[in-house]
Amino acid sequence: MITNLLANMHKSQSWITFAFRIILGGVLLVAGAIKVTDPYGSATSVRAYQVLPIHIANALGFVLPFIEVGLGIFLIVGIWVRYISIVSSALMIVFIIAISQAWIRGISLDCGCFGKGGLKDTQELPVWSYTIEIIRDIALATIGGYLFRFPQGKLGLDK
Amino acid sequence: MASNTSGDKGLRAIVIGMIVFVLAVTGIFIYLDKKPAQNALTPASISKADGSGLVFNPKAKPQIDIWEDFQCPACRDFEAINNELVKKIITEGRAKVVYHPLTFIGARSTNGINESIIAANASACAMDQGKFIEMHEILYQNQASSENSGRFSTEFMISLGNKIGITSMKFQDCVTGGNYALWTESISSYAAVKNVNSTPTIFVNGKELNRAGGEYSDPAKFEAALAAGGVK
Repeated sequence: MITNLLANMHKSQSWITFAFRIILGGVLLVAGAIKVTDPYGSATSVRAYQVLPIHIANALGFVLPFIEVGLGIFLIVGIWVRYISIVSSALMIVFIIAISQAWIRGISLDCGCFGKGGLKDTQELPVWSYTIEIIRDIALATIGGYLFRFPQGKLGLDK
Repeated sequence: MASNTSGDKGLRAIVIGMIVFVLAVTGIFIYLDKKPAQNALTPASISKADGSGLVFNPKAKPQIDIWEDFQCPACRDFEAINNELVKKIITEGRAKVVYHPLTFIGARSTNGINESIIAANASACAMDQGKFIEMHEILYQNQASSENSGRFSTEFMISLGNKIGITSMKFQDCVTGGNYALWTESISSYAAVKNVNSTPTIFVNGKELNRAGGEYSDPAKFEAALAAGGVK
């Protein structure tokens, strides 16, 4: 039964890789594209985590949307999947750490993942959103791990 | 297979080049678009040293910095609770007060219209007419119940102006022309320097009020924070 499943997974691996490329790449592309035209909003999101020095946080806020769009497009068209996927997973892990540390320190913020970042008006911690965001990012990081292991898929430009 | 690989490599190189090129061009355009313009029109009473914020009593001490977005509900609450005191401080000249109208809520709008810029621009136009305080007040009184609802239009700004007694053509032209829309970019860029991550944010002599401690929501605590900052 399990060997069957594994054999089937092996057969459909190139399609799974393709689907995962679209999912991870699509999320990155959309998240980046929403923020790309609002650099001040994006910089505000990064500052709200209160980790980096202000000017570094601002600079990161300005470039991060472009990095996300770039990673997203490369994954979708299937170029350098092995390297792009590991960078994307690393980025997701950074997001997980950022949200977790805000949670632990009692900082109440909108993650700014898809725009709308910054501190919240209320002091109450958005526990539910934090949980969902962390689970989502773990899932995406895992998908990136799969792509790192099996970078060859359908409809990609990598050969 | 060998010939095929070289063809794919060529295609891949072209696609990589296109992606990088498009991203770079977009980046340059957005940078140029969002960079505070050196030649932007500015309202009459601004403080260059304070990121071009609208200033009252520029020579007085101490200094109160008020960061807000006319679409922000928490700013409306703050204004409803504490505006009378702030107004009194301004008219009595007890402090230098700098208003920084931010526009980040409007930037989230999906229809391409930034209502926060429309409102901030109108408030600056009213500043030129000596009616900023009144405009500020009536903007919050007429805030829509949801963000980016479409209520803050230029026509609506002119009608609000009329209600507070601004009838001049100059004000109308300023509102419809969006004269100070570019100026709002310098406010946003100074917010990045000053680490303002939410609205309202108030600094009394450079010290941020304590949100968790109720210094925004409790008028007695607000007054105490002002006194602690040297506002007599």
